[in-house]
Amino acid sequence: MNPYVLAILLSSLGIGTTLTFASSHWLLAWMGLEISTLAIIPLMAQQHHPRAVEATTKYFLTQATAAAMILFASTTNAWTTGEWNIQEMSNPTALVLITMALALKIGLAPVHYWLPEVLQGLNLTTGLILSTWQKLAPFALIYQISPMMNPTLVITLGLASTIIGGWGGLNQTQLRKILAYSSIAHLGWMMIVMQYSPNLAILNLILYIAMTTATFLTFKNVTSTKLSTLTLTWSKTPMMTTMAMMTLLSLGGLPPLTGFMPKWLILQELTKQNLPLTASIMALAALLSLFFYLRMCYAMTLTIAPNTNNNASTWRQKSSQTTMTLSITTTLALTLLPITPAIMALTT
Amino acid sequence: MLKILIPTLMLFPTTWLVTPKWLWTTTTAQALIIATTSLTLLNWNSETGWTSSNPYLGTDPLSTPLLVLTCWLLPLMILASQNHISSEPISRQRTYITLLTSLQLFLIMAFGATEIILFYIMFEATLIPTLIIITRWGNQTERLNAGTYFLFYTLAGSLPLLVALLILQKELGSLSMLIIQYMQPAPLCTWADKIWWAACLIAFLVKMPLYGAHLWLPKAHVEAPIAGSMVLAAVLLKLGGYGMMRMIIMLEPTSKDLAYPFIILALWGIIMTGSICLRQTDLKSLIAYSSVSHMGLVVAGILIQTPWGFTGAIILMIAHGLASSALFCLANTNYERLHSRTLLLARGMQAVLPLMATWWFIANLANLALPPLPNLMGELVIITSMFNWSSWTIILTGGGTLITASYSLYMYLMTQRGPVSTSIMAIEPSHTREHLLMALHLIPIILLMLKPELMWGWCF
Repeated sequence: MNPYVLAILLSSLGIGTTLTFASSHWLLAWMGLEISTLAIIPLMAQQHHPRAVEATTKYFLTQATAAAMILFASTTNAWTTGEWNIQEMSNPTALVLITMALALKIGLAPVHYWLPEVLQGLNLTTGLILSTWQKLAPFALIYQISPMMNPTLVITLGLASTIIGGWGGLNQTQLRKILAYSSIAHLGWMMIVMQYSPNLAILNLILYIAMTTATFLTFKNVTSTKLSTLTLTWSKTPMMTTMAMMTLLSLGGLPPLTGFMPKWLILQELTKQNLPLTASIMALAALLSLFFYLRMCYAMTLTIAPNTNNNASTWRQKSSQTTMTLSITTTLALTLLPITPAIMALTT
Repeated sequence: MLKILIPTLMLFPTTWLVTPKWLWTTTTAQALIIATTSLTLLNWNSETGWTSSNPYLGTDPLSTPLLVLTCWLLPLMILASQNHISSEPISRQRTYITLLTSLQLFLIMAFGATEIILFYIMFEATLIPTLIIITRWGNQTERLNAGTYFLFYTLAGSLPLLVALLILQKELGSLSMLIIQYMQPAPLCTWADKIWWAACLIAFLVKMPLYGAHLWLPKAHVEAPIAGSMVLAAVLLKLGGYGMMRMIIMLEPTSKDLAYPFIILALWGIIMTGSICLRQTDLKSLIAYSSVSHMGLVVAGILIQTPWGFTGAIILMIAHGLASSALFCLANTNYERLHSRTLLLARGMQAVLPLMATWWFIANLANLALPPLPNLMGELVIITSMFNWSSWTIILTGGGTLITASYSLYMYLMTQRGPVSTSIMAIEPSHTREHLLMALHLIPIILLMLKPELMWGWCF
């Protein structure tokens, strides 16, 4: 892409999210969301491939719907209470509508249907931006309205997302769809603790961003988008294959890797709030996601030579990607559990 | 504790930096030094209390025998793996030893933990290296299924345990075993309390394994390479037993009604899995089911919560750990020569490998609990305490002893006596390494006869 255009689009993306972070007025927050949506649209469609255009269109329609719902809800609140401030929203109808709108924006179940198909149509870099950066602005809004959200709705969103994210990913062989369902499941974990300890939800988001970035960048480095091409990564980069396996197990939430930390802290918060049944259901639903992460680990690392391989070999070209981000995020994704007290002191 | 942890951590640089010619020698030697150092843990300050120099890691007479067993097993695992790994590239050999070492590290921290959450995290952490050992270095395609069963059975049991521990922390304020031992257990009135009681124990029951949740064990043991089988049989199952012993003393002691179904399952499991052993054609599967059978006796001993029950459980865990690991090593010597686990293909080996027959003999005698070996001491103590708990159990436990004797004898007679299998053309003679391995397994069992107080736990 033309570097000037790329610069404008990326800076608009940044400005949009920053605008939403900085705003206390609903209209300004909505504007920030719209700017970031508009900025990512050309990035998604840059290859003019029909599948990419389809993904772009679906993304645009869902995000526009969500933004319109946000506008509607905030004007309803302003009409009944006269208040445009985000943290002073009090009309219950408006709150429910805003929660559903933000759920549609980030892809929580039961309004998650767009996420796997959109993510599948994108290349890995744009998919990474969609999975990580585009979640930040809606989360800033959710964080601010979290004390006022309807508890039943929030727990429903959280439980449904974890279960659907786990079950939906079970039949997938395309990596981007697997990562979409993984995103849905992790967002479920974030939502469920949002009203009890919003800072824990933000911590979960940050750690999820680190782990997902590591995963996306690994896949980009070996240019594989399917489970079958994952089987050949060991011949390109054996060390990265091993590290990717550990990152996937971290996404699955296995101790002693970092991914266990948010799950542990969230389960602790839920039990402190006398919700042990919810906690147990969340924990067991995480096992569903673990199954497809484990399947990826099997395909990638645990069946390497001298075991026979049924897939056609791909070209082993040296990747020109810089690996600094990958190494930093992989390190974060694997080793943060022992410093949990420090991280908790920093974030809660 | 650090005098064992730091050398184990230092085994990582050793593995990666030493020259390939000296890799196996150096790692085995360092692991043996760690094992010898771990024997100093047996010097308890007080006979029932904790010996700990810091608030996080400590040892007491319950955890020390298991710690020593774990440390002793690492050089044995490295010795056993030396042959079949030597054909791989050097970095894979180093990775394999790194996996064994990291497993060792997590196990030491699990057995030494005083905070129950640390125990939980280390308990779960042992899953990843074991999974990698089973699925990457196992030999048949069924190993993937085995790894999945292993991981998911254990996690399905242990995630409710995590929630139960967090509930316990909310109730009591602390999860340090040093503190909880002085607190009153809460009475179990509501259904939710009873489910919490079950959640505390199910993880360990699946790990032991209890008969109803044992399906992962034959798969995992059979598909794992020799080091995986050894560590699974000798230590990982005992992790479940240790956890159960720690948890059950903190739970309501009058929960005897709740324990009934599990005791029944355990006792019935002894008979059932023993009977399955009599019909097995796969040698490793036979030993795996025999492990389930012995562990059923341990589970029953722990669940009745009497002093003799606990003592018997620890003795049987240690003795079974060594004996079962020895049997797996013997099965591996057959596998390395014939590349098959079928029992019938390795018949009459006494005529071919007479010295190995000695080890087969002693290991099988240990398995069938011959006096005066500690296996018998453990089994007898448990059977006696169960008889005291209810006279009817003698039918099941006595029948179990009979069946254990039958299949152990069957295993010995099938592999060693009788005509030599006609399909065997030429067999490698026994390596000195294999003899050393068997000696290092069986001599500790014999030595433990002389000072069994080391294994008696709190009931000195």
